[in-house]
Order: sequence, then structure tokens, then C-alpha cells
Amino acid sequence: MSVDLSMPILVVDDYNTMIRIIRNLLKQLGFEDIDDANDGSAALNKMRGKRYGLVISDWNMEPMTGYELLKEVRGDPGLSKTPFIMVTAESKTENVIAAKKAGVNNYIVKPFNAQTLKTKIEAVFAE
Amino acid sequence: MAVAIQQHHDRIAAYLKQKLGADVSLADVVALAEITAHSLQSVFETLDSAVHRELREIADYIAAMKVEIAGLHFNELKHTRIPAAGQELDAIVKATEAASHTIMECAEQVLAGDAGDPAFKAMVDEKMLIVFEACSFQDITGQRVAKVVETLKHIEARVARFSDALRARDTGGFVSEEERASAARKERLLLSGPRLDGRDRQSEVDRLLAKP
Repeated sequence: MSVDLSMPILVVDDYNTMIRIIRNLLKQLGFEDIDDANDGSAALNKMRGKRYGLVISDWNMEPMTGYELLKEVRGDPGLSKTPFIMVTAESKTENVIAAKKAGVNNYIVKPFNAQTLKTKIEAVFAE
Repeated sequence: MAVAIQQHHDRIAAYLKQKLGADVSLADVVALAEITAHSLQSVFETLDSAVHRELREIADYIAAMKVEIAGLHFNELKHTRIPAAGQELDAIVKATEAASHTIMECAEQVLAGDAGDPAFKAMVDEKMLIVFEACSFQDITGQRVAKVVETLKHIEARVARFSDALRARDTGGFVSEEERASAARKERLLLSGPRLDGRDRQSEVDRLLAKP
């Protein structure tokens, strides 16, 4: 993979099981610096304290969804350029279009496999 | 009742015709009053019957509704079946989470192992056995889901019977502010959850993203 494997990644999901799965998949891909948060607002706090090279976020979380997190990130001049991949069970056309308009870099539908995650990460950094 | 009123009119008219041209005495007025009272009595009796019939029908309807409401077993639903279904769902979440963590822990240990170590094979065998054991969650959660589905069907049958008895139609709106706010949030933030059809949607998503 032609991506900087040392970059810190933030995984955002309200299910710890999913965080553990993504963390393991990322480790298999060679990434080591992986943090996590259980909702958008916790993620935003972490992002304001540490520079992340990539955010991988679920959509459906409370109190702040991944969609709201994406809009906050894109609206913050200090965070707006952060690559952002949505990983979610929300797969309706309106969701994808809304995320695209909000500035998402890629969109993975759950359930997914390691190859899909790898392909989508590579696609983001190839842009 | 219309017939009674008409008969009343006819009696008065007949009496007046009879008395036309003659002097009207006190006895005539009393007789007229008597006819009127007698006629009105029958009108009131008719009215009483109609009102009585209506009230009887309403009372019968209320009695039937009480039977239907009792048939809902509302207290049983509220205090026993629905809480039990909620507990089953909680147990399902806990069981699937525990099984997932057990399986992932085994996977992590196998991945971290040294394939060159003579004890590696034995370790992998041991972990794979734990993985198989953990997968038994599917059997238990399947049984719990079946119990929840049974409760939902029970509720559905009772509500359907009650709705048929009432000849009820749906009305719009929400039953509480909480329900309204939840629906509004789901609409605003596009929250609909996983689809049921099991189709692979990644290709469709990729096509949408690729469009300019």
C-alpha cells in the first residue's frame, strides 16, 4: 500500500465490536497509530487535540452522527482537509449524495471485508 | 315520532272541525287540552322509546368494547410480555458482543503467534476450538429472537382484533413529543439503518460517488 502507514487514524463508531474489527483490519494493513471514539462529538474533541491523517466513521451514532461530524470537520478551517471515510449500514442514495455533498472522500457499506477497506483507503490517498 | 305528531294534528283538526261555528266553552277548551295532552303523551312515549333505544345501543356498544379491551390483555402486555421481549433483545446484544470479542481475541492471538514456534499449531488448535464454541451464540440468539417474534405476533393479533371491533382507521400525528422529535431527527439526519434485501450495495455507492 502506497500510503503513509505511520499516520494516525481515528476510528469512530458507537459499537466497540466494530471499532475492534476495523482496528484489527487496519493493523493487518500495516497501520499502528489507531485511536477511537464512540460518537461524533467525542471524535471532534480528539481531532482538536491531535492531527489525524484519516478519519473512518460510522453514520448512526448519538448524540452526534457521523454525518454531523463530517460537516463539522469540513466546516472547521483547522480540520477541513482531513480525509474522511464513512463506514456505515446506511446505503440509500440520499445518504450517499448527502455525504458526497458534505465532502466525504469515500463511502463503505457495512458489512465489508478487508480488501474493500484497503481499496477505499488507497483510493482516497491516490486522489 | 312523525306519525305520532301527525295523529296529534289530525285529532286537533277533527275536534276543531266538529266545533266550527259553535261557541267555545270552557269544557271545549278542557277537552282540547285533554286531546293535546293525550297526543303529546304518545309523542313523549315515542321520544322516550327512541332515546331509550339509542341509550341501550350505546350501553351495549360500551359493554362490547369493555370485552374487547379486556381481550387485549393490556396489563399482561405492558407488565410482562413487552418487558420480557426487551430483556430478550438486551440478552441478544450482550451475547453477540461477547461472542464477537471471544472470536476476535482468538484471532488476535493467532495472528500475533510465531508460526515457527513448535507450540504454534497446538495454540491455533486450541483457539479454533474456542472460536467454534463461541459461535454457538447463534443458536441461543436464534431462540431468543423467536421468543421476541412470538410476542410481536401476539400483540399484532390482539391489536388487529381490537381494531376490527372498533372499525378503527389510522389517524395522522404522533402520540408524544418524544416520538415526534425522534422521527424528525431520523428524517433530518437520514437515519434508516441497514436494508433488509441483503443486496450488495457497495457497487451502487461507488457509482454514485464517481458521478461528477
